[in-house]
Amino acid sequence: MTRSPLDLEISRAWLVDLAVGHEGPGEIVVRGGVLEAVNWLEGAEARGIKPDGVVVAPGFIDLHTHLREPGNEDAETVATGLAAAAHGGFTTVCAMPNSEPALDEPGVLARIRAAALAAGSPVELLAYGAVTVGRAGEQLAALGELADAGVVGFSEDGAPIRSAPILRSALAYAGALGLPIVDHAEDASLTAGAEANDGFVATVLGLRGWPAAAEELAVARDLAVLVDVLRDVPGARLHLTHLSTASALDLIRRAKAAGLPVTCDVTPHHLALTDEWVAGARRWAWEASGDPWADGALVTGPYATALRVNPPLRAPADAAACLAALVDGTADAVATDHAPHSEVDKAVEFGLAANGISGLETALGVLLAAVDAGRLPLLRAIEALTTGPAAVIGGRLRRASAGLVEGAPADLVVFDRSESWTVTPDCLSSRGKNTPLLGMELRGRVLLTVAGGRLAYEAAEG
Amino acid sequence: MSLVVDPAEAAAVAVSSVGAAPESEAVAWRHRHLLDVDRLSGAELELVMRTTDAMREVLARPIAKVPTLRGRQVTILFYEASTRTRVSFEVAAKNLSADVVNIAAASSSVSKGESLVDTVRTVEALGAQLLVMRHSVSGAPYLAAEVFGGSVLNGGDGWHAHPTQALLDLYTIRERLGGESQAARSRAGATTEGLLAGRKIVILGDLLHSRVARSNIWTLTASGADLWLCGPPTLLRGFEAWASRSSVAGRRFQVTTSVDEALRDADVVMALRIQRERMAEGLLPSLREYAARYGLTRERLALARPGALVMHPGPMNEGVEIAPDVAAGVQSVITDQVTNGVAVRMAVLYLLAGTQVPA
Ligand SMILES: [Zn+2]
Repeated sequence: MTRSPLDLEISRAWLVDLAVGHEGPGEIVVRGGVLEAVNWLEGAEARGIKPDGVVVAPGFIDLHTHLREPGNEDAETVATGLAAAAHGGFTTVCAMPNSEPALDEPGVLARIRAAALAAGSPVELLAYGAVTVGRAGEQLAALGELADAGVVGFSEDGAPIRSAPILRSALAYAGALGLPIVDHAEDASLTAGAEANDGFVATVLGLRGWPAAAEELAVARDLAVLVDVLRDVPGARLHLTHLSTASALDLIRRAKAAGLPVTCDVTPHHLALTDEWVAGARRWAWEASGDPWADGALVTGPYATALRVNPPLRAPADAAACLAALVDGTADAVATDHAPHSEVDKAVEFGLAANGISGLETALGVLLAAVDAGRLPLLRAIEALTTGPAAVIGGRLRRASAGLVEGAPADLVVFDRSESWTVTPDCLSSRGKNTPLLGMELRGRVLLTVAGGRLAYEAAEG
Repeated sequence: MSLVVDPAEAAAVAVSSVGAAPESEAVAWRHRHLLDVDRLSGAELELVMRTTDAMREVLARPIAKVPTLRGRQVTILFYEASTRTRVSFEVAAKNLSADVVNIAAASSSVSKGESLVDTVRTVEALGAQLLVMRHSVSGAPYLAAEVFGGSVLNGGDGWHAHPTQALLDLYTIRERLGGESQAARSRAGATTEGLLAGRKIVILGDLLHSRVARSNIWTLTASGADLWLCGPPTLLRGFEAWASRSSVAGRRFQVTTSVDEALRDADVVMALRIQRERMAEGLLPSLREYAARYGLTRERLALARPGALVMHPGPMNEGVEIAPDVAAGVQSVITDQVTNGVAVRMAVLYLLAGTQVPA
């Protein structure tokens, strides 16, 4: 099925466009799929239009999506993953290459592109190539061929880049191709068997600790190797995904101040949820005390496997550091690390459960919770979902920019901040129902997602 | 199956409890499962203690058996081998006249890939109403409780909790040290709060891997003990963070690597088992060094108060964490722990059965 280009007029909404660095009252007109007009309103025309109602923003870009196809279609397919993206307001997703087989040569990329075409979704599917053959950590994958085929970077995600020598080669080779290396920062020697963030909650629950030092060590290694490579390959670029600790983010802050070509992202769950949730609390990070036993915050049982994720949900201070890094620009983007899993991989003991949270459809709602709490400016939240990630993947986007561009195919999301919705398994388009937010109410219902001039998602009436 | 907790029998059990509070004052047991002790109040702990008193009386009878759980099926599902604990639960259930089904799932089901959820559903379909479970993964009983229609009793999960061990330890300490405060306790109402006030209790050894220690932290601090945790620094990881939180919450305990500091003037010393794996994991140099530095010897015990109690949850490595003469010495209450274990498990099975809606 192919959806036809659409006509659309939205008047009296709050427009947010980071490509021009502006937000305010306005209206848009789409004709035949083309964004014909973006009119900013002023004076009497603008009266009564506030940022807490209907918002129109450029379509979101997710730097970190697991689509599970090929290999684990029980958890997700390209079709269901793109549907989930559209439901979440995303018009571009960057798929991680840890499928089975891994995306380590152009044939696998062709397969998922064919699946996207068959699905008929207008959501743009981009992908990373694996760094090494079979993600085995030993031999470089076909980086040049993958670049020619259109990958947006290289990653071993699901796992860190195993050795410093491979990282050095990859940074140099990809740098010459003009593409970033995206690393999952984890020193695996410190996290063998780890189950939950090393600290108070893990100690009480008897879970094997997952230390912050494992992330900090990996980031330090990556930065040192980057400096080493830059001497010969000035184009080398490093992106660190889903950073979760204050110490690792501090290293990035300093590296950026020193002018290194490094970027990073944080996830909605690491900035808004904490390890308190593993104990049975259900309050936002900015409301957390760190000791849910002491202040009666335990509202449900411990060990919910929907909370098992890599890196783990951290202590409130780390979550606050993720949010602070997003606000001050240390973090360039918010990425969902959408990691859908089937019921069989989650309905097991906590320590045996698969890592990952299904996140595409709740990312906006979680960020808006931070906005509503006064912790995150709306403009910055949208920037982290649009121009922020666009800068990381450079010129590989289908659209000319991550803004509201007149005369180009419309690529935008419309959501209503005054409307709430309850997260239920049925309302999620993803096959992965593994979100700890099930049953919770989120603000900011997506009304409409338009990708490449075509309708990607439209909320049911009412 | 009709009502299995016979009200007359239950009353008989309660009445036989020495100094039991009048019915109106007694707190009701409201937990369908016993998965942890972290959310038990002092009043609930005291209810377990008094119910255990009653069970001790049952055990003292010529025929130590009551019909309380007649017609009920207690399934004992152990994913870890532990003869002592399994037998203790089995004896407890049989003393209450329950039908006991034993399943050693350790190697069979897990390796065949049958999920815990499937196993629990199967066990329930086979008639289990009370499920006693031991598992090597922390939190596993919570998953079982989500799918099981009856009551789950955690018989030890990973490093996390061993509720009946902590309760039998509390009972054993209360029996030996709670004597003079018995009267004060009944004046104060039916709670263990303050029961062990001013009593210094030391847990010595491998705290990191110990579910016994974790559960004892909750019950002993809830009872007002001056609790000290002591062991090599590698095996105390994380407990300083817990201690600093708990002092805010009024459930204070101390953490130290100094055995002398911990044992000085202690009223109770509880030694924990050291596993050989700790050497391979790089956490300890050798058992010899552990015994020399942290083993509970007669010399070290002399630092404690005269007559201080010596405890161990078993099984012991004599000559490593505890010297043979200390384990078998006059201060040792290790065999009391074993006897009290049966009574406490009877009490908990009885209380859990009382929360079940009669079919
Ligand atoms: Zn990752």
